Formats: sequence, C-alpha cells, structure tokens
Amino acid sequence: MKRNLVGNILWFLLMFCFCAIILMPFLVMLFTSLKPSAEILSPGFRLFPTEWKFENYRIAMQSAPWGRFFWNSFYVTVLSVAISLVINSLAGYAFARLNFRGRDTLFLLALVGMMIPQQVTMLPNFVAMRYFPLVGGNNLLGQGGTGLINTYAGIIAPYIAGAFGVFLFRQFFLNFPKALDDAAKIDGLSRLGTFTRIYLPLGKAIFATLIVFKTTSTWNEYTWPLIITTKRDMWTVQLALSVFKEEFITQWNYLMAATTLIMLPLLIIYFAMQKYFVEGIVTTGIKG
Amino acid sequence: MKKSKSIFNDRCGYLFIMPYYIFFLIFVAFPLIVNITLSFTNFNLKTISFVGFENYADLLTDELFHISIRNTLVYVVFTVFFSIVLGLGLALALNFTRSWGTKLFRGIIYMPYVTSMVSMSMVWLWLYDPTSGAVNAIVEALGMAPQQWLYDERYALGAIIIMGIWKNIGYYMTLFLAGLTNIPAYLYEAARVDGANSFRRFWHITMPMLRPVTFFILITGVINAFNVFEQVNVMTSGGPMNSTTTIVHQIYTRAFTEYRMGYGAAQAVVLLVIILIFTLLNFRYGNQGQDLDIG
Repeated sequence: MKRNLVGNILWFLLMFCFCAIILMPFLVMLFTSLKPSAEILSPGFRLFPTEWKFENYRIAMQSAPWGRFFWNSFYVTVLSVAISLVINSLAGYAFARLNFRGRDTLFLLALVGMMIPQQVTMLPNFVAMRYFPLVGGNNLLGQGGTGLINTYAGIIAPYIAGAFGVFLFRQFFLNFPKALDDAAKIDGLSRLGTFTRIYLPLGKAIFATLIVFKTTSTWNEYTWPLIITTKRDMWTVQLALSVFKEEFITQWNYLMAATTLIMLPLLIIYFAMQKYFVEGIVTTGIKG
Repeated sequence: MKKSKSIFNDRCGYLFIMPYYIFFLIFVAFPLIVNITLSFTNFNLKTISFVGFENYADLLTDELFHISIRNTLVYVVFTVFFSIVLGLGLALALNFTRSWGTKLFRGIIYMPYVTSMVSMSMVWLWLYDPTSGAVNAIVEALGMAPQQWLYDERYALGAIIIMGIWKNIGYYMTLFLAGLTNIPAYLYEAARVDGANSFRRFWHITMPMLRPVTFFILITGVINAFNVFEQVNVMTSGGPMNSTTTIVHQIYTRAFTEYRMGYGAAQAVVLLVIILIFTLLNFRYGNQGQDLDIG
C-alpha cells in the first residue's frame, strides 16, 4: 500500500506537533535557565530570554556544594552499576545455562521479588540500615549509633538487590545454542571459564543495555536518598535539587539552570546509546 | 521425557546465584517480613510494643488515608488509560510509515521517560506557575481563564496526572512498537487477499495480536502508578487541602516525618496487598508476551 503525498505530509505535521508538545517543557527549561532575574519576576510568559545570561549556571552551581552532590551521585551510580553487572550477569548465566536443583523455583522467587516495589520495602530497609550491627557506632545488637544511615553503602545496597539485570541477562543467555556449552566442556573449560571466556565476550550488547538502564535509574533515584541521608554532605543531585527548590523558590532561572545540568549527563548518554534503551525495554517487557 | 537426577550436574550454579540472592534476601525478602511484623507494633524508632491489629483498625477510620487511596485510584485510572491510548496511537502512527524522521520522533517522545521525576517536577512546577507559567499563557491564548493549577484543589491532581502521562507516554509507545513489529506480515497479506479493509485488518489482526503486550503494559502500568510519590512530594507535598496526597505519600509522611513506623508499615501492607493482586493477575493470565517472541 502506497501512501499519497498529502497523507504523508499530514502524518508528518501531526507527529511534528506532538513532538513539539513533548519537547516544550525541555525548551522552556533551557531558555528560562538563561534569563536575567528581573525577567523571571515580571509576570507573563515569554519563551526566549531578552538577554542571554550564561553566568546563571555559574551562580546556581556556587549557591551550594554542587560539586559534592555531583560526586555523590556519580560515585553511587558507578558503584551500583559495576556491582550489579558482576552479580547480575553471574546469576543470569546460571539461571539460563546451568542445571541445578530448584533453579526454576529460585528464579520464580526472584521474579516475584522484582514485582515488589521499593515503596513497600523502603520503610523496613530504613529500619534495617538504622540498626545494622557493628557499623556507624552500632553495637552487635544495632544499638547506640546511626548504622548505615548517611553512608554510601546504605544508599547503594538496595539498588543492587534489583532483579531487572538478572532477568535481562537470563533472557539474553537463553538464546545461545547448547553446542556452545558442549564445545567449551570438550575444551576443558570450567563453568566459570565458560562464562568469562565465552559468554562475557559475546554479551557486550546486553552489558551496554544494563549499563544504560542501571545508570538512568540510579542517577534519577530520589525517594531512597531522601530517606537514608540526613547530612547535606551525602545528598545526591536529585535530593539536592528538591531542597534547592525550597531555598530558591522564586528564582526560576537558577533552578532551571541546576535542573538542566542534572539532566544533561543522562540526555547525552541517551542520545549516544538510544538503541540500548529500546533493547532493554523490549527484552524485559515483551520477551520477558 | 522423564527427567533423571543426573541432569542436575551444575552444583556450582548455587555459587553463581549466591551473591545476587544474598542481596535479594537481605533487601527484598527480609524487609517484607520486617514490614509485616512492624505493622503490628507502635514502633517509633525509640520504643516498641506489640499492639495487635490496632494500626489496621486505625486505618479504617483514618480519613486522610481514605483520601489518599481515592487520589491514587484517580491517578492510576487516568494516567494508565490515557498513556495506553496515546501510546498505542503513536506506535501505530510510527509503525505504518517508515519515512524520514520516524527515528527522531521516537527518540524525542521517549526522552521524558529517561529524565528524572524530580527534575521534570521542577520544570512542570514552573510551567504551571500561575503568573508566569507557560500553561496559563497557552490557556489564555485559547481564550480560557487562567487557573491556579497546583494551588487549586480542583485542578492540582489533574495537573499531576497530565504530567504523568507526558512522562510515561514514550515508554508505552516503545512497548507497543515492539509488539507491533512482532506481528507477522503474512497475516496482513492474507487478510488483504481476502479483501479486508484497513479497519478490519486493525480490528481482527492488530488488536488480537497486541492483546498480550497490552495486558502486560496495563498490569505494570497500574503497579507503577499505584506507587506515585516523587512528583507529589516535590510539587505539592500532598496539598492543597490534601487533594494530591497518595498512598506512598501517606506512608512517607507517617513513617519519616512523624516517625510512626508501625502505622506506616500497616499502610505499606495495604499497598503491598494491592500490588500483589495485580502481580498475581499478571502471572495467572499474562505470559509477558512470550507467545510473541518469534525471533
């Protein structure tokens, strides 16, 4: 079926308008971040700034220890992604390629766990972190100190428990032919050797997928840092932005400058690695 | 074929899954037990004693909790419905024409889903600003009266719902697109040979073939929407007049601002039960679209 020209133009215009609606908030954010303060305070809406104030970004970043917040987010994200990659790929490989008793039941349990939202486990997890024995001044019974509250370990640990990566790796490794395992066995490779020498090099694409997904979700996380950190030194960028909002409530140009900078690393990753984002959704959503 | 004992020969598999399972047990399974236990106590981070079903009895008369359930239900129904309709519409529009710009359009529509809820909440707070916001500028340009949006109890929840739809639509679209590309082309060819018009092809092929993925999207969408919290906490803190407070916002308020951990835990159990019902529906009636996997 061949579409006529009018139909094509109409389709294009419709999609263009829709994308304009989707993009509008991003454009307003960007242009607001460059406006002079006087323009922000005057009523009425104008998209473009009358004067382009690039120093808004410098002023916004100097208003609080943003370097520290960015470092916290960066550190938490890198560690969560790295640890998740190791333990999720190992588990995903075992669930897909190894035969051991209870394997499918154990996998089903992990699957049910994936459905349990963080919003249900955040309260008991906070309690567990608070009374974690022998850290943060706590004794063996978890009394006396603050446990893992305000520590990187406390922020990171629940992120690693997510089953998403296990799921992703299992789906991916399931597609390999059985002959691959047999060949590895004949060559005298152990199971671990088969994993590191054969499956890992073949799984680069799925590693990229998990990296982009885990990076996005960890960088964007707000609720858990809100609960587990009380000291400003431990805030992540998302938490810092929400507090920044209370202090700079009418200074939208600085607020939007900070918002833009927080979003920027992810948008760069997104446009550079777009196909891996789609890959991840499709693997877990459809094939899952 | 009868399974013999000898096929379970990879005992090292337990070692491979152990690191993951330790985290899973400590941070997902164990907390669930702790949460249920706490819901029968009046734990407040200092003292703890067993109170039986008192917290649950209190929930029955807690008007704020009832309001939060109602708000959450309204949020769930409207965001999920419109996200599915618009996501499906967009997927169909992008699937049936391959022209210049398709990939770019897809990339743009998915963009809000990648960005954080906190940063998007900031942007939408500014868009909804009563005096200088873009939304009122558009509304006035269309000849309607400007509103207070997030400061008006009649509109605040609606404003949050619209933002939720805007943010999730790309995710729904991507899932529907994947479902659409999995429909074999020969089905459409055969229907065309039989003289089916495009509406009948959509109704008798596209819709039935999309049913599994639609079910999956519906269930996961509902579960995600029930957990709505971040935008509420950042944009309205549940106000004005509690018109936007949600179940998770109530849990957060009770447990982490009033330190009524036991009571918050009881509310979390209610949320858990709701989520479990939908999860079981998914396991029972859904196959996560496995029958679509043809590649």
